[in-house]
Amino acid sequence: MIEVKPSDILVRYNVKLEKEMAPEEAAEELYPTEEPVRSIAKSIFEGEEDDVIEHLEKAIGAGKDPLDLITDLMAGMDVVSKLYDDGVIFLPNVMMSADAMLEGIDYCKSKSTKTHESKGKIVCHVAEGDVHDIGKNIVAALLRAGGYDVVDLGRDVPVEEVVEAVKKEKPIMVTGTALMTTTMFAFKQINDRLVESGIKVPFQCGGGAVNQDFVEQYELGVYGEEAGDAVKMADTIRKKGSKIDGLRDQFHQH
Amino acid sequence: MTVNRFTSMAYGSADEMIFGNAKKPVKAGLGLEIGAGYTTPEVNYAPRPEAGQSKDKLVREYEKITTDIMARMVQVGFPAVVLETEHVQEMTNNPKWGGEIAHAQKTIMEEYHEEYGIKCALRHTPGDIREDRDYLELRGGKYSTLMEAFDEVASNGADLLSIESMGGKEVFDHAILRNDMQGILYGIGCLGAMDMEYIWQDIAKVAKKNNVVPAGDTDCAQANTAMFIAGGLLDKNLAHTLATITRAIAASRSLVAYEAGAMGPGKDCGYENTIVKSVAGVPISQEGKTSTDAHSDVLGNLVMQCCDLWSNESVEYHGEFGGTSVQCWAETLGYDCSLMNVALKSGNEKVLRDMFVASDRYRDPQGYLLAYDNAYRVGEAIAKDGDNLYLRAKNAALKACEILDEGKKGNLELTRFETNALGKAKADLEALPDDIDQFMSDSMTKYKNEVKVFRPESNYGL
Ligand code: B12
Repeated sequence: MIEVKPSDILVRYNVKLEKEMAPEEAAEELYPTEEPVRSIAKSIFEGEEDDVIEHLEKAIGAGKDPLDLITDLMAGMDVVSKLYDDGVIFLPNVMMSADAMLEGIDYCKSKSTKTHESKGKIVCHVAEGDVHDIGKNIVAALLRAGGYDVVDLGRDVPVEEVVEAVKKEKPIMVTGTALMTTTMFAFKQINDRLVESGIKVPFQCGGGAVNQDFVEQYELGVYGEEAGDAVKMADTIRKKGSKIDGLRDQFHQH
Repeated sequence: MTVNRFTSMAYGSADEMIFGNAKKPVKAGLGLEIGAGYTTPEVNYAPRPEAGQSKDKLVREYEKITTDIMARMVQVGFPAVVLETEHVQEMTNNPKWGGEIAHAQKTIMEEYHEEYGIKCALRHTPGDIREDRDYLELRGGKYSTLMEAFDEVASNGADLLSIESMGGKEVFDHAILRNDMQGILYGIGCLGAMDMEYIWQDIAKVAKKNNVVPAGDTDCAQANTAMFIAGGLLDKNLAHTLATITRAIAASRSLVAYEAGAMGPGKDCGYENTIVKSVAGVPISQEGKTSTDAHSDVLGNLVMQCCDLWSNESVEYHGEFGGTSVQCWAETLGYDCSLMNVALKSGNEKVLRDMFVASDRYRDPQGYLLAYDNAYRVGEAIAKDGDNLYLRAKNAALKACEILDEGKKGNLELTRFETNALGKAKADLEALPDDIDQFMSDSMTKYKNEVKVFRPESNYGL
């Protein structure tokens, strides 16, 4: 075996640059201070579904409105998103928190007689001819955990089916994922069919093969680099409206 | 066909393993012998998207690709080449298309072989079409179409048959995004292995009928998915230590092809192949620095260590300054092989091998695990319980944890994040039962509940 000192030939930049703070410490600094929201947020961060339910149960027992507690769950997801963006935690932590979040939301809904207002409907799909759906599944899970009502059309979805779903569901935003250079052209067709029908819904597209230049060639297209951008864009649409130019500016990469 | 499990190692020691030499060389195609003392380039390509519009266009595209490669090989004086055609879906869905393309390619290769004596072979890799839009459909109607596709290519000129099978992927896709070792082990080590056992006995039959070579498979659908989700050093989607453990488990799965009739060479993107070679002694194809045309793997030179074929994974056919893309890559692969062959002829092969390893051993945990000395140890952990699919995959995973732990004490730097993920994975693995029946029934209950597209009865006969 030949051994040379690794540092003479390569740099493990990830080791060199790793953040000082451990995830748990960083999270501690972000949790809200009051109870029960603190404990609920903490169990969301930890991705512990049973703890989430236990804390919710307690809070409901103490007289809290189940639907109001959904906001407390969101506070947990905010901590998760912030630390993921900062590079302190990794995607699987986010997914586990998202799973816990969904259980929490379902539980709160089941305990309430009123109907819960979702933050808005979003249609997600993978382009026709493309079966690569891992990225789309992440996008859908994060949107659901963010409080949105997701209509997941699955993968390899024909152009016409996406257009029909948009007409029927009237979402605030549509997402598309494509990992193959051969399949991403379906986005342009979907765009054209929507524009023809006078529908001006923001259409966020991402996935391995897709790039910003391509997406901005069609009227409704906004490029999404990472799954978390879908939630950010939906939040922006709620706050600032659905003007494509503004969204393109805000989500501009490089 | 029968299934013969590997319960011992093909090599007596890791140091015996070397590029260009396999314990069980394979004769294929026109004068080629793989793993018989020399390495050979294996060129991979994809047609331009427009070419898929009709069968005639596609056939013409592959004729051009084939001619371009063969012409460049003789222009530059390379003695041998393998071409791999990974089917675009249409070619497998319409078995006649695949057959016609294999025939067209082989005709050109035969002309070159006759005129120049260049040794060559054609690998065809039908796409694993066994799914419908929402579900895997491993044993349904598409199974017979797939087998027909194999038969068509085999009877029309393909010399080596391969597939990148997808069994276990539905559970794995769910598990990998949740750091769930049980699901990874179940998806790859159990479900994936069971599916391979099923499909490879049939592929071997087709190969035998047509007198061609049932070559091998890869855990691309899972271990490479993990590797790409993990990404580069700065990505934050998955701990590289987990992708590394996944790779060790993948070796147990890929081995099944050779237990069910395959003979090698294993598929290029099976980065687990060094482990597989240590146990099965079959020749392997590999890709690393030369697959940067398709993806970044952070493994570079290291994977050349024990390869018999050396590949570029896949490049779209188009023009480059130096010729067409396939010519440029074929030439690069050819020079790499030439260097390895010089080492073999001059008695320097172990030095060159060890230089390849030293270049990337500490770049990433996956390289550390796959370095042939460590790969061999994973092989031993698999062979120790070779006839128990679950235990051997679990052994491989635990051995990977042990190797990474040792590495950390030495020159392998890990982030705190990678270290923690490793610690958690190890604890989760240790908490799993040793009994296969219990593991299978626990997992069946868990994943039927968690993964809504998991269909144990129709896909795995469970
Ligand atoms: C896993 C994989 C598969 C798996 C898919 C499993 C599954 N359920 O998805 C399997 C084995 C089935 C597969 C099959 C094939 N594959 Co494949 N596959 C891959 C691989 C290795 C990883 C893809 C992946 O999952 N990445 C991880 C996810 C998380 O990334 P992502 O989807 O991009 O999503 C991230 C972001 O992009 C973003 N995002 C995604 N969508 C959206 C949307 C919005 C709105 C936002 C904001 C963000 C966002 O969020 C995610 C996280 O941040 C890539 C290799 C590579 N270099 O990418 C090849 C790759 C994509 N496959 C490829 C090919 C060619 C195929 C096959 C044709 C092979 C064959 N011959 O059969 C078939 C395709 C079948 C078909 N019709 O689709 C090529 C595509 C080449 C091209 N450019 O056209 C690639 C690039 C490999 C290569 N280099 O050749 N594959």
